[in-house]
Amino acid sequence: MMQSPSRTLSDPGLYRRMAGASIVAQLRYPGTFIIQAIGNFVTTLLSFFGIWSLFHRFGSIAGWDIGTVAVLYGLVNVAFAIAETLGRGFEVFGGEYVRTGSFDRLLLRPRSTLLLLLGHELRLRPIGRFLQGLFVLAAGLWLAPHVQWTATLVLPWAIAGGAAMFLGVLIGQAALCFITVEGLEVVNVLTYGGVEAGQYPLTMFGRWLRRFITFVLPLAAVCYYPTLFSLNHPDPLDVPTWIGALSPAAGFAFLGVMVLAWNRAVAGYVSSGS
Amino acid sequence: MSLRPYLTAFGLQWKIGLRYRIAVVAGLVAQMWFGAVTLMAYASVYHAAPDVQAPLSLRQAMTYTWIQQSLFTLLPLGCLPAIGDAARTGAIVYDLMRPVDMWNWWLSASLARLLGNAVPRAVLLACVAGPLAMLVGLGAWSLAGPASLISAALALLSITLGALLSATIVMWWNILTARTLSPLGSYAVGTPLAVLLSGMLLPLPLYPDWIRPFLLAQPFAGITDIPIRIYLGTPIPGGVTTGLGLQIFWLTALTFLGRLWMRQTVNRLEVQGA
Repeated sequence: MMQSPSRTLSDPGLYRRMAGASIVAQLRYPGTFIIQAIGNFVTTLLSFFGIWSLFHRFGSIAGWDIGTVAVLYGLVNVAFAIAETLGRGFEVFGGEYVRTGSFDRLLLRPRSTLLLLLGHELRLRPIGRFLQGLFVLAAGLWLAPHVQWTATLVLPWAIAGGAAMFLGVLIGQAALCFITVEGLEVVNVLTYGGVEAGQYPLTMFGRWLRRFITFVLPLAAVCYYPTLFSLNHPDPLDVPTWIGALSPAAGFAFLGVMVLAWNRAVAGYVSSGS
Repeated sequence: MSLRPYLTAFGLQWKIGLRYRIAVVAGLVAQMWFGAVTLMAYASVYHAAPDVQAPLSLRQAMTYTWIQQSLFTLLPLGCLPAIGDAARTGAIVYDLMRPVDMWNWWLSASLARLLGNAVPRAVLLACVAGPLAMLVGLGAWSLAGPASLISAALALLSITLGALLSATIVMWWNILTARTLSPLGSYAVGTPLAVLLSGMLLPLPLYPDWIRPFLLAQPFAGITDIPIRIYLGTPIPGGVTTGLGLQIFWLTALTFLGRLWMRQTVNRLEVQGA
């Protein structure tokens, strides 16, 4: 192991520098930033208005009360907003790094490629989705009938698991770019489509979709089961409620698998030319 | 006055829309996913509340969702990308110098862009969600046929008006872009408005009763909601005439006001770049 010179930054220090530079850059155009954040907030809030309208017309969301659905909705949106904020570098990876060949430059640097790509941009725009998700989550906790005090521990844990899972999807998407060069929009099915599916209770879906979002993409593990646990809501499919306290770990496991896939993909990387 | 320049502008953008075949397939997969999630959610909501008399039957709500999904790219989500680029680089001056009516020139390009994107997707998704779904035994989830031959013919007329109306709204985003010299604002404003007000998020007839008259009367309803209602044969207050009348009214009003706004914008346009 080579002795690093004393002036070299530690990994967290380097990330702080890169993130700071990115924030300063985005705030250079405060008008654009404010408009985009407001647009983001309004779009996501309106989508909850859609769910609320269904509830209003039918009296329940397939037998679920609006409080529980609001908690699910808030949870998945907050988790996705965090992943969107951190993982912008992976989202644009195909177009900006693989196609242009600038990934070669990242490989020359004596740091982890994951760290360098995390530092590509700390995106501020998802703050709209984040705040709106928190707002709906709080409203849901206020409306839901049997909120447990353990919710204060389980919900942040679930949000962390969910953010890890979505970040894993973004890393997986970037790893795919080594094969496809351009980013594949089909992966949006797992990100935006995951948010869409995660905001409804699992029991509303057919069996193939339930299995997919439980065992392939552990969406139910980071949203549905922690919500049942926090609200002491029995599962109509008879899965024991305590699962929800442990299941967010599946989000981190998913992230781990995607990081392994990433490392294998980087090892086999062939540049597309200068 | 010759029509040829407008036809050329149309032909060019139409071909751009058709060129990205992989994007069409990727879009199809995404729309099938969102369609499936939404349909399962609606089915589950409807089955849980069998006594509620909703303005749309479940079958109609499903057909509504499929048509909405297939026409997603027909919505005025933002300005024409070419105009966004031209505004940023300053190339917009070339458009100002052309010996053509600028409104019609941009309008034909915008319309072609929308149609070039939407037509292949709509045909593909209609085949998959209609006959193909029937064949594999998913008839209950498929796209239902039109209420009658007359309603099919009227719906075709109405969707033509809808496409024109959408292109006219895109013209408003184009002018906004020329004014602010950035396409970002038009997307930040246009996407949430179009997604909510066209019925993409939730069929407009399913919103709470007090807001429905307003939702029908606003211009975005004329793009896809009114044609779909005519196709399904669901009653519109005042009948089909009101539906078509609203579309023609908004088309005329937005064209007239838009032309005024454009003239004013062009007169005081400051172009950046060399």
